[in-house]
Amino acid sequence: MAVIVKKVELSWLDRTYVWPVLKGMAITFGHFLRQITTPSRKRFTIQYPDWKKEMPEGYRGLHELKRFEDGAIKCVACFMCAEACPARCITIEAEEFSDLTHTQGFEEKRPKVFKIDMLRCIYCGYCEEACPKDAIWLRKDYELAAYDRLSMQYGKWDLMNTYADQDGKLRLSEDPTPAAPRP
Amino acid sequence: MPTQRPRPWSRPIPPATVIARALHLAPETFWMVVKVLIVLLGPLSLAALLTWVERRGSAMLQDRIGPNRAAILGRWRLLGFPQIVADGLKAFLKEDLVPPHANRVLFWLAPILAFLPAALGFAVIPFGQSFQSGDRTYHMSLLDPGNGMGMLYPMAIGALAVYGVLAAAWGSNNKWSILGGMRASAQMVSYELAMSLAVLAVFLTTGGYDPHEIIESQRGLWNVVPQVVGFLVFFTCMFAETGRLPFDFAEGESEIVAGYLTEFGSMKFALMYLSEYIHIVTASALVATLYFGGWRVPFVADPGPILSVLAFLAKVVFFAWVFVWVRWTLPRFRYDQLMRLGWKVLLPLSLGNFLLQAFLIYRRG
Ligand code: SF4
Ligand code: SF4
Repeated sequence: MAVIVKKVELSWLDRTYVWPVLKGMAITFGHFLRQITTPSRKRFTIQYPDWKKEMPEGYRGLHELKRFEDGAIKCVACFMCAEACPARCITIEAEEFSDLTHTQGFEEKRPKVFKIDMLRCIYCGYCEEACPKDAIWLRKDYELAAYDRLSMQYGKWDLMNTYADQDGKLRLSEDPTPAAPRP
Repeated sequence: MPTQRPRPWSRPIPPATVIARALHLAPETFWMVVKVLIVLLGPLSLAALLTWVERRGSAMLQDRIGPNRAAILGRWRLLGFPQIVADGLKAFLKEDLVPPHANRVLFWLAPILAFLPAALGFAVIPFGQSFQSGDRTYHMSLLDPGNGMGMLYPMAIGALAVYGVLAAAWGSNNKWSILGGMRASAQMVSYELAMSLAVLAVFLTTGGYDPHEIIESQRGLWNVVPQVVGFLVFFTCMFAETGRLPFDFAEGESEIVAGYLTEFGSMKFALMYLSEYIHIVTASALVATLYFGGWRVPFVADPGPILSVLAFLAKVVFFAWVFVWVRWTLPRFRYDQLMRLGWKVLLPLSLGNFLLQAFLIYRRG
């Protein structure tokens, strides 16, 4: 179906061109006055390195691997996230451990290696959706930059500590229970 | 209380004479040097400030913030003023590149050709009321009244500006540049006509073309009131002459990269860029002189040197701001629209205004 473009009828005042120009200038000057009288905190621009934007709920930023209270990782290395990941950027190696702790219930598997290539990740959040244990969250940190590619490979301990400082938790570098195959 | 007798040292000695004596110069020579400095450095510094106004002003007009990061010693940002200095330094330190197949002579000449006419145009424009000091009269324009060139001089010099654009365009040996230069020359020639006719009407009502006479004739009523059409035509043509939006066909960055500026870098570019702003200052001064009473202050018959200079400055700054304001309000014309406006609208309007003024003068007898 063809679209019929309606011809705009201009009044003689609009045809003078001068009057519409003046109207336009009044509009821009209104913006000028409004912008110049607004305190800079209230302007639209967020002056980034100095001020930061509070990200909305549900923002998908840097991942965190969740932990139990005793510091044990919640992840059970089920590979669901790695399966779901459209960018194929999650690498997991599982390991067994025998010494069941109270918080972990009857789990006996955990990741030995849990790597996310942040350069490939598209922050889609599918890993979070797929996880049956709620062990991987995407949270609000968006300031991800590095000087070399290697430092964008986040390992298990990096991922467990991504929000440790923000949440006032301890930085972890060790599992509370040793890895050992069941006898 | 004893009566105050005038003491010998309280006799008013004109300050200019004092300084001139201290420098062992004749007052005329001293005043000439001062005027040269004012006329050369005034528009130049105004133009530099204008780049700041343009960037911050345009930002404010568009609900942005504009450059505010450059800081002196990394601490004092001063509303982004140091950006001017930073830009200048950057232009100096950049590599001065001449493209391989460019016409080197023209390429080097172009920035000078663009800069000189812009800077020279100011010479006849009075930037304040002439004043009496001692037994001498000091005129506040580089060329004293009655120099025989009058207002024709800035018009002629302004028309030379197109050579800078053309030299840049041809010398760059670049398709975009050629297109830009071609458009610019066509545009400037077309608008020159309407502009000259508008100015002629002013000459007609004044009965002379000396800027001092023109300002003198606007004693009671500024020219803009009886000649509002002429003013509109002249102001529009000034946009075309300075190559500013909505008539920036020479650059047209969305169509032809940067037009005649495409190949220019470092200080050459800075000079071209600055000359555009000096052009704006000169154009504003022309508009103020021709239509807004030059240094005249409303309701003050003789404002005196200081007030008159301030009034003139205020007018120039205002019109320069209007140039910026319009640029960030209006979109660019299409090329055929530009030509139609120039030939079919502005020229007849200007001619009509001219005939009307002539008729009015005839009626008045
Ligand atoms: S956010 Fe998406 S791309 Fe990134 S790791 Fe999770 S599933 Fe993969
Ligand atoms: S993070 Fe969740 S989905 Fe991924 S392996 Fe661990 S438990 Fe499974």
